[in-house]
Amino acid sequence: MANLPKRIIKETQRLTEEPVPGINAVPHEDNLRYFDVSIHGPSQSPYEGGIFRLELFLPEDYPMCPPKIRFLTKIYHPNIDRLGRICLDVLKSNWSPALQIRTILLSIQALLGAPNPDDPLANDVAQKWKEDEKTAIETARQWTRTHAMS
Amino acid sequence: MTSATSPNPAPVFDIRALTYVTHVDDNLCCPICQSPLVEPFTTSCRHTFCSECITNALKASKTCPVDRTPLDTKNINMAPVVLANLVNDLTVLCPNHRDGLGCTATLPRGNVEGHLKEDCLYVTVACPGCEEKIMRKDLQDDVCVHVEEECSYCSGMHRKLDMKEHETVCPGLTTPCKFCGNECPRPQIPNHEAICDEAIVSCDAASVGCPWHGLRKESTDHSTSCPLMHIRPLLEENNSRLANLEHENKLLRRRLELSLVARAQTDIAESMDDQTIRVLTEQEHIRSDLERLYVSMQEMDIKQNMLSMHMSDNMRTKEEVAMIGAAVNNLRTQLHGLQLLMFRRQGLDQNGSGGARPTGASSQAGDNSVLGHARRMSDMPSGDRVKL
Repeated sequence: MANLPKRIIKETQRLTEEPVPGINAVPHEDNLRYFDVSIHGPSQSPYEGGIFRLELFLPEDYPMCPPKIRFLTKIYHPNIDRLGRICLDVLKSNWSPALQIRTILLSIQALLGAPNPDDPLANDVAQKWKEDEKTAIETARQWTRTHAMS
Repeated sequence: MTSATSPNPAPVFDIRALTYVTHVDDNLCCPICQSPLVEPFTTSCRHTFCSECITNALKASKTCPVDRTPLDTKNINMAPVVLANLVNDLTVLCPNHRDGLGCTATLPRGNVEGHLKEDCLYVTVACPGCEEKIMRKDLQDDVCVHVEEECSYCSGMHRKLDMKEHETVCPGLTTPCKFCGNECPRPQIPNHEAICDEAIVSCDAASVGCPWHGLRKESTDHSTSCPLMHIRPLLEENNSRLANLEHENKLLRRRLELSLVARAQTDIAESMDDQTIRVLTEQEHIRSDLERLYVSMQEMDIKQNMLSMHMSDNMRTKEEVAMIGAAVNNLRTQLHGLQLLMFRRQGLDQNGSGGARPTGASSQAGDNSVLGHARRMSDMPSGDRVKL
């Protein structure tokens, strides 16, 4: 705690005191830079009803560099690969130190509601999405039932 | 952020770790560190950050952290003075308020540095006498506080630094009684409290249920009117008798339990069935039979001993008979020798005078009978031997 920047302490406090609906982030007791995150699938999306678990880590030079985030729950999404890695500009080149944990998690939730197969990370999923969107969405719904609703 | 270091160095303090007394408007906070702005700088796109935060952010990315407008260090300038004044006037607690250090000062953020440098009593400074570190509150007239001096009340030796603490417990000083407020020498406080009229005491009959509490000086009045005080001796006597009876009851109960156990054991013995008794009788019989057998075995042993004695007697007799037989044989040989000698002499005599022949014949017959008798006698032992 002694070496934890005031900003991280403030962010953690605010996440607990004013949680974002549908998003939950709890730091580990032994490592306050490591968070267990869960995001509810947005309504009107194939992920609706699912609860997706993620891990989030704040590197040493956060907020000058972005947090590292990965899906732990399997998800069928053109911008998320088999290992749970996320293709999202604000987590890479478009990171800004003015962004926060809560804003990043909101962006990820928005990404679930608006898949972008033109900037894919999982090529096979993106291909399917473009060729036969209806089947792809059904598969995503199926995966949500299998992996995110237990 | 840091203050000057001499003559009394103020500690480095983290301005972002300060505790603000009132809630700070989010608009006065830096979008990067999210604390109230420190040395605010404004970009050409009119966003404001702490100077340190925007400098670091531009090292990582040459864009505005808020709207991503391309930026360079030359595009940032000090924010208007009014903004700097606003954030510096925010009221904070002294940094030494925390960690139990105890400075209770609240002051505008802009004055914290000066407060630590000049005023805060909870800042460590060098002792003027010996250069050891002490808190500013312990400084005394530019002299070393680590030298021991005599306490003017109890004559004990204490460091100047510890003298104030010592005086709170010094036995040479008086302390007001917590009940009557009269000054009293410290060592006598316990004695005084035991008799202080203003002390709160409970009724003497509290042990028998009187709930009265009050000043000691009023306890005498209470005692005269307290009904429990009057019956207290009686109650106490009853209590002690009750205790004795309880004790006795306990002893009796234990004794009763013991006798019950003994009785139960007797009952078990009595309830043994006929079969057991038969078995026991049988066992008795077997035992007496065994004893009889043992006695007869002993008799047999004695008889056997006697038999073996007789056997050895027999052996001895046999040996004697054999010896006698041998002696008889010996005698017979001698007799035979003698007979031969006699025959020879008779032969010599007949050659000398024939008239004497019948006598010689009769004597020979007599000799023969003697000889035959002797032979039979000598045969006897051998016949006996066969028989034996």
